[in-house]
Amino acid sequence: MNPRRIRAVARKETFHVLRDFRSLYLAFAIPLLLILLFGYALSLDVEHLATAVVDHDRTPESRDFARRLDASIGFDVVAHPPTTAALTELLDGNRVVLGIVIPPGWSADLKAGRPGALQVVVDGSDPNTGGNARAFVTAVVAQANQRSLLAALNRLGRGPMRPPVEGRVRVWFNEDLESRNFIVPGMIAVIIMIVGALLTSMVIAREVENGTMETIRALPVTAGEFLLGKAAPYFVIALVDVLLSILMGQLLFGVVMKAGFWLMILASTLYILVALGIGLLISVLTRSQLVANQVAVLATYLPSLLLSDFVFPQHNMPAALQGVSRLVPATYYIDILNGLYLRDLGLERLWPSFLTLAAMAALVAALNVRALRKEGL
Amino acid sequence: MRWTRVRELVRKEFIQLFRDRKNRPLLVIAPLVQMILFGYVVSTDVRDVSLALIDQARTPESRRLIDAFDGNPTFRVARVLDHPRELDRLLLERRVDLGLQIPPDFSARIRSGETAEVQLIVDGSMSNMAAVRIAYATGVIDAFNAQLLRELHPARIDYGEIDGRVRTWYNPNLDSRPFYVPGIVAFLVMLLSLLFTSMAVVREKEAGTMEQLIVTPLRPSEFILGKTIPFILIAQAQMVMVVLFARVWFDVPMAGSAPLLLAASSVFLLSTLGIGLLISTVSRTQSQAMMTNFFFILPFFMLSGFVFPIANMPEPVQWLTHLNPLSHFLVIIRGVYLKGTGFAVLWPQFLELAVLGLAVFALAIRRFRKRID
Repeated sequence: MNPRRIRAVARKETFHVLRDFRSLYLAFAIPLLLILLFGYALSLDVEHLATAVVDHDRTPESRDFARRLDASIGFDVVAHPPTTAALTELLDGNRVVLGIVIPPGWSADLKAGRPGALQVVVDGSDPNTGGNARAFVTAVVAQANQRSLLAALNRLGRGPMRPPVEGRVRVWFNEDLESRNFIVPGMIAVIIMIVGALLTSMVIAREVENGTMETIRALPVTAGEFLLGKAAPYFVIALVDVLLSILMGQLLFGVVMKAGFWLMILASTLYILVALGIGLLISVLTRSQLVANQVAVLATYLPSLLLSDFVFPQHNMPAALQGVSRLVPATYYIDILNGLYLRDLGLERLWPSFLTLAAMAALVAALNVRALRKEGL
Repeated sequence: MRWTRVRELVRKEFIQLFRDRKNRPLLVIAPLVQMILFGYVVSTDVRDVSLALIDQARTPESRRLIDAFDGNPTFRVARVLDHPRELDRLLLERRVDLGLQIPPDFSARIRSGETAEVQLIVDGSMSNMAAVRIAYATGVIDAFNAQLLRELHPARIDYGEIDGRVRTWYNPNLDSRPFYVPGIVAFLVMLLSLLFTSMAVVREKEAGTMEQLIVTPLRPSEFILGKTIPFILIAQAQMVMVVLFARVWFDVPMAGSAPLLLAASSVFLLSTLGIGLLISTVSRTQSQAMMTNFFFILPFFMLSGFVFPIANMPEPVQWLTHLNPLSHFLVIIRGVYLKGTGFAVLWPQFLELAVLGLAVFALAIRRFRKRID
């Protein structure tokens, strides 16, 4: 290992990065864009669901029910279609996700002490929204029933009645229940994979395609030196991306890290090393930029987005894929991010993930050196 | 316009694509791997919620509440704890999703007609799922209350119960797959057509063969056709493959008409191929082209309603999604798959998609001409 030779390779690669100004610009623009989008525009929290009420009853009670629904944060009554057929049209055309049909004579039934059927139609096509809608509407109905049951008991002269059990809900770790608070940190893991692995996946394939690999073989540079030199400029780019993401999350969206900054830097460093290593390895093995790019998307970007417990919980996956998800570096990084951002955990609980990332970085580096030696370095 | 020249270019493009042995698996395996990944993974279903409970009352009433949770298909009592501090640890380590703490005076308060408070402690880190878990848990408590009240006051009470008959349309079991699988089909078509078109043109530039093509009698429009037709064919073939795969592997059937879907994807390809060409006019190297592609693909993906509902976005961003071809195509493909809707309902999306596609394609051709001349 000769630091001078590493520096020489790094210098050459830096020039390459700087000369290809647009790749560099995109390396910073993509993270900025993603954080902005995720922080500002994207949310999985289901509120103000577009609701249509078909009121065949037309009594103060039925209107009161619709009003209560509209007033809850879960629903917005946006339409009053005259018939069920009109409601179907609204549902088909994605104008509303929930339809409520109040049959004629509904409130008369209720007043007479008979059960009043209420037809609720949920658009289940999006299971997240549909599931939320179903759970919320069921809760609204249950609460209305509880109110009238208590009122009925009161009328029977049993004194002021109270519900026997009340659930006091406390939410931990993400007290305001904002999806932003877990999406923004998780996004950092995806950004690093895009910037780190996708950019580096082109690096060596480019040398091979341009024929400059021959020249490099003739140089006195060893595989390890070549690897470090190639990775160095991208390491700096990815680290700056991490800092930018942390800063933007905090300043623009108030997504604040609860635990230590330096732990975050340590975790990010390890994760960046893994990402760069994977990118370079793909690059050496595929020897073609187009193929390298496709493989990088498949092997790095998609798994970090899908398998890492980022938005899609791992315990919903089939067992085989849960096993695969344990091989995905982003799983461990997101575990750390979750601990640092939301749970205020320290090294004493997070060390297994740190250790795994370090081991992965070492393994990928070793594989890279082997592959490069085979290339004749 | 000479069709023989276009045909020759298409032939050359196919030869080039399939000659490289590494490209072949990419065309078939890559979409299938993505399909499997998305199909199995993408799910935010709330089920099997693991519950830790601390029963400090240990009375018949508290046990009944526990049974009410245990008997509910959504919840699974994972741990029974003695001390609240253990619950803190389990939640911190993400071993349980929900903690239920029943206080010592639970039964005493119920029997004396007061309200007994139980604590529900929810891990809110995935807020969307947490909200549903809260709603389900309070639902269990509400049902438990109704039952208790009736038992405490055995006299006949006619209070006119609202009988909420909830029916779920289009996807009755709220499965994730019928929703996401059509989305993946759309996403894959976009990914492939964007990436391959732009790379195919830029590769000629990088290899220096663009110069050679320019001195041939090939016209710009012929060049564009020759470069895009292969990818139209491949993208459509891939779409058919992925749709069949979804049917056979994931058992996700299509409610609507297949020809309508093919028509929609043809209109959709107009914009993606156009964008691919545009990217190629502004990129000199494949690496640049790839990064520029990602600059388009990511916002298209995020702002399409694929995972993140458009209805949840702030209004200005909702307007922006009209410029996103993927968002229109998704509405169509999901409509066809899940709702079986036809052109009568989906024509606005078709129209917007067509306008978008023609505009982008015209722009691409204009820029392209300039470059070549």
